[in-house]
Amino acid sequence: MTQAALARPGPAAALTVIAAGRRRYAMLVILGLIALCLALIFLGVGVGAVSIPPGRVAGILLARLTGGDAALDGREALVVLNIRLPRVLLGLLVGAGLAVSGALMQGLFRNPLADPGLVGVSAGAGLAAAATIVLGDRLLGGAAARLPFAVLPFGAFCGGLISTLLLYLIATRRGRTSVATMLLAGVALGALAGALTGLLAFISDDRQLRDLTFWSLGSLGGASWTKLAAVAPIILPLLFALPLLARGLNGLMLGEAEAFHLGVPVQRIKALAIVLVALAVGASVAAAGVIGFVGIVVPHLIRLALGPDHRLLLPLSALGGATLLVAADIVARLVVSPAELPLGIVTAAMGAPFFLWLLLRRAHVVEI
Amino acid sequence: MPDRPELPFRKTARPDRREILAAVGLTLAAAAGFAGPGAIVGPVVAQKSDRIVALGGVVTEVLYALGLEDRIVGVDTTSQFPPEALRDKPGVGYVRALSVEGILSLRPSLVIAIEGAGPPDAIALLKEAGVRLVTIPEDLSEQGVAVRIAAIGAAAGASEPARRLAETVQAGFEELAALRARVVGKRRVLFALSLQNGRTMVGGANSTADAMIRLAGGVNAAAGVEGYKPMTDEAVIAAAPEVVLMMRNSSGHDATPEELFAMPAFSATPAAGARALVRMDGLYLLGFGPRAPLAARDLMAAFYPDAAIPALKTAAAP
Amino acid sequence: MSSRSDEAARPLVSGRDLGFVAGGRHLVSRASLDLRAGETTILIGPNGAGKSTLLRLLTGEAKPTAGVVTLEGAALASIPPWRLACQRAVMAQQARLAFPFSVLEVARLGVDGVGRALPRARREALIGGCLLAAGVLDLAARPYQTLSGGEQQRVQFARALCQLEAGRSLATRQALFLDEPIANLDLSHQLALLDMARMIAARGAAVLIVLHDINLALTYADRLVVMDAGEIVAQGAPAATLDDALLRRVFDVDLGLGRPPPQNLPFLLPQQHRQAAATP
Repeated sequence: MTQAALARPGPAAALTVIAAGRRRYAMLVILGLIALCLALIFLGVGVGAVSIPPGRVAGILLARLTGGDAALDGREALVVLNIRLPRVLLGLLVGAGLAVSGALMQGLFRNPLADPGLVGVSAGAGLAAAATIVLGDRLLGGAAARLPFAVLPFGAFCGGLISTLLLYLIATRRGRTSVATMLLAGVALGALAGALTGLLAFISDDRQLRDLTFWSLGSLGGASWTKLAAVAPIILPLLFALPLLARGLNGLMLGEAEAFHLGVPVQRIKALAIVLVALAVGASVAAAGVIGFVGIVVPHLIRLALGPDHRLLLPLSALGGATLLVAADIVARLVVSPAELPLGIVTAAMGAPFFLWLLLRRAHVVEI
Repeated sequence: MPDRPELPFRKTARPDRREILAAVGLTLAAAAGFAGPGAIVGPVVAQKSDRIVALGGVVTEVLYALGLEDRIVGVDTTSQFPPEALRDKPGVGYVRALSVEGILSLRPSLVIAIEGAGPPDAIALLKEAGVRLVTIPEDLSEQGVAVRIAAIGAAAGASEPARRLAETVQAGFEELAALRARVVGKRRVLFALSLQNGRTMVGGANSTADAMIRLAGGVNAAAGVEGYKPMTDEAVIAAAPEVVLMMRNSSGHDATPEELFAMPAFSATPAAGARALVRMDGLYLLGFGPRAPLAARDLMAAFYPDAAIPALKTAAAP
Repeated sequence: MSSRSDEAARPLVSGRDLGFVAGGRHLVSRASLDLRAGETTILIGPNGAGKSTLLRLLTGEAKPTAGVVTLEGAALASIPPWRLACQRAVMAQQARLAFPFSVLEVARLGVDGVGRALPRARREALIGGCLLAAGVLDLAARPYQTLSGGEQQRVQFARALCQLEAGRSLATRQALFLDEPIANLDLSHQLALLDMARMIAARGAAVLIVLHDINLALTYADRLVVMDAGEIVAQGAPAATLDDALLRRVFDVDLGLGRPPPQNLPFLLPQQHRQAAATP
């Protein structure tokens, strides 16, 4: 064993062959996904209950971009610019945010079954939403209509953040956050929030109950530029922070101690990931209700296709989540047009069989 | 709004407030019976060419009753009566989870919605799209029925027929009140919304069922609870209903009196002895639309089968 | 070369009066230990003696409740993780992986952080070399989780080597910590790994290894450290440190150390134990 043994070209050549093969495959997957996402964006803006010829849609978008206003009058322009476009954009944002949050949580908790809800956001947001739906009228009365923001999304967002903060405080001792404690406390807090939500359902009337049900199934129906402007600054930081988190999460795959040895600022990564996820999921839930499934399945699909390296997994989860949600929303809008299905139903109904098929198709059991 | 200059779509969100106020004021006047026919002129808000989307079961029911069904281009899923409404007209989803683009695809010129239609963003976008939107206040009372009929009629440009319909309904309620006054020995009625898994969901105080039971000359046996709530078996026994009232299922899986009174909770009630189970179509029973007096009368006849309750002379169409 | 020898004389990692209390129990107390560049230090002791805890204190993974650890004179706690990672690599006892990384990806983890600035070709060469050195190059494409325990251990060793190699471009004075690195290995791989560790030391790194095999410890250590009940009970050159009395006291076995002629190195024969047990 000579000194040169640790850095000689021979073995590297063998690795380069492996790496090049993988890289080519990854490139194909990435390009395919980007193409699919773009196609769905155009489809999402192009189709809907109101039938507008593609040429007209393009004309409206072009007129908007170039500042020409001749084409911007009328209902068609409103449908394209104020209904479909914000809706597709919100779908991209929420889908990306949820999928990335799922991937981050799975990495942080080193558990492939972790989902964004684990940091308590969903439970807290759900409880707060239920409270606003059931008690809002009683507590706020007519004041609700005069507030400068919609009470329900704001309440859901705050509820999500508060419960995450609570979990974080419970799980942190002397500056160290135990993800295991967080996981367990999350289960307990989730049960508590579930009980309180149940209590609220008990005292609600049947209209409020239906509101609750619809909210818990999610929808992009309320998308608007205002909502988009409110949500984007909260979800985008998560997406921009991915390069900062990817390497650290890879290190965390070996365990927290090992990650520390590799030079990962473990506590900072944990805190950053948890805060960003709580914000992003809180905003998603507030804007579009509860949309399950995306956060757990998209990262898995990416992992099945390209492996668990977070430097690929995180950005591709964002892309995949955005794609899935926009696709699901198109289906939700068209399938019972002019009414629309709740989005959560579609994401699960579309994603779950596909996921099962992927699992069945594999020759051997998935190692996790 | 012929006098209003055409504004870009962004600015047309406003025109409704005046109309709503006008409509509400008008209907209150109509309900109170102050104004003679000549006085009710109101703004002409609807034309023959109007394409109306009806959001809320009562809106659809009233529009049909007014003979305006040809102008309806879309209804929500709560528009269960008349049955052909949901069959013939495109559905735009649940009234509180509407799809804006779905509604716009029907090219409506007028949307009549019950109070609480939503989500709020969808309503805002509808206004932004320049669709005239009229909101019908929620009021589940005798007077409320007339008010809502008048408001719907005013919005649809059929104030006069609506006034006549409201008057008919009002007269029906008055006739009902007279019948009610003759009832002796008011019976205790328990409204069971569902019997899922042996749990009885009952209609307590301030529920629509409670209002109907009282209109029909009964006493709500579950007045101790508020709204629709599950009730324990013991509480059902303690409530001692003499009649059990249920909705008729559309699926046809109705509990028979034998099944119902075999349940422990109900076997020990006074109702069990007489096999006193009354079943009625849900929307007819709880819709509080133009048919409310008729429904209450039918209910009364069912509560007091020996009293020979006569049919109402003033029967509202349809 | 005089400066070089000065550097060698100064300890790279130094622990002074270290203590660590957890759950009311003193896992480590009053432990002072220096690790010098070019030296292989081997830490032995019975189960629960506090070997792994001491290693965790010296790597900075755990903060001592008493005493202080310094790296080149600077308090360990004051050095940011990324700089620490350039100067020392650690191979812990058990390493389970949450997701199906390949062997190559696990090894690459060692380079990704520390060697970010290196050109890609250099990084690939480095990973290949380290996988080869740890004898796992042929496993490179295999999922880590499908490997045997011994193979996984060698991959972890390769990963630690990668980190050390990548760090060499930034910090020449380095330390390598191995916590029971050969527990699951067959004999030939045990020897190969310890040879490799000594080679790393020979190149100028300070190496600390926790071992259970006293024969191998005596064979490979430049300096032997014996722990018992959280305290360091002896340290120094192997031959001078371990004797029959210490063995009896610390490991609770009544065995004599043999001293065979060739290099006069001590060795241990468990056969004596069985013979002793047979004779009343």
